[in-house]
Amino acid sequence: MQSIVRWFHLLGSPPVFDRFARRGSRLFYLAALPVLALGLWQALFVVPADYQQGDSFRILFVHVPSAWMSLFVFALMALYAAIALVWKIKVCEVLAMACAPIGAGFTLVTLLTGSIWGRPMWGTWWDWDPRLTTELILLFLYFGVIGLYMAIEERRSAARAAGLLAIVGVALLPVIRYSVDWWGSLHQGQTIRLFGPTTLDASMQLPLWLMVIGTKLWFAGSLLAKARADNLQREAGKDWVQRALGEAP
Amino acid sequence: MTYLGYVVAAYAVFVALLVVDVIGSRLRLRRALRDAGQRQQRADARRRAATQPPSLELER
Repeated sequence: MQSIVRWFHLLGSPPVFDRFARRGSRLFYLAALPVLALGLWQALFVVPADYQQGDSFRILFVHVPSAWMSLFVFALMALYAAIALVWKIKVCEVLAMACAPIGAGFTLVTLLTGSIWGRPMWGTWWDWDPRLTTELILLFLYFGVIGLYMAIEERRSAARAAGLLAIVGVALLPVIRYSVDWWGSLHQGQTIRLFGPTTLDASMQLPLWLMVIGTKLWFAGSLLAKARADNLQREAGKDWVQRALGEAP
Repeated sequence: MTYLGYVVAAYAVFVALLVVDVIGSRLRLRRALRDAGQRQQRADARRRAATQPPSLELER
């Protein structure tokens, strides 16, 4: 236990984080590939078509994991930003800011795949439905965090300002989550529950969970790769970076 | 497969995100390493210039 706590503290050091991120990103990417491939295979070719929606329901296997990631990444970004603000840990600033482009990507995929599914099922590409609108606001919040981070030259001030926006933006997450319950939404309600009965057919659950795990692993790989790049840019000129250059990539 | 075009389009968007993400990360990392390398080269050049004896031109 003691060694785990010590390792965790050491991870706050930029050179230690660089070594960890270099190995970790590759490992997570490699772990994500077979899981995602298997999930996609199951989703496209193994699961039977839905009796009402036909094959269009297969879109949910990329839409739902992306939607969950859009919320999860934002919450994680705010958590890192809060830790960075309170304890002034540089690596947490870097991790928080590395979350933003990945989360924005997943939010965009959520909106696009939802729109593609909506066209044949709802008869429209877009509706100003509470769930869709709040998810769109989330995308703008991600853009706000990225824009603010890029707009301020001094990296630490930029990360603090953008981090603060991320922390404030967390208030939107429960609104997105419960929008289908609070307002009469066109978007369907909750069908998959971690705790409680799931109304999704058992045959559809395996590929969905594979995709959920695969996207999480991919996110971990991407986060470490992006954070490593930002960490190297911030620390350029330090002795450890010069030493690390000999070992790169 | 029914709604084939919609299913293909949705999966293409998802895969495109993963591809763009991994390429973006690689490019960012490569740029960071290149910048750090160039910075080191500049620092080395400055160090060499500082330790070299003054040129004959300047001595005269």
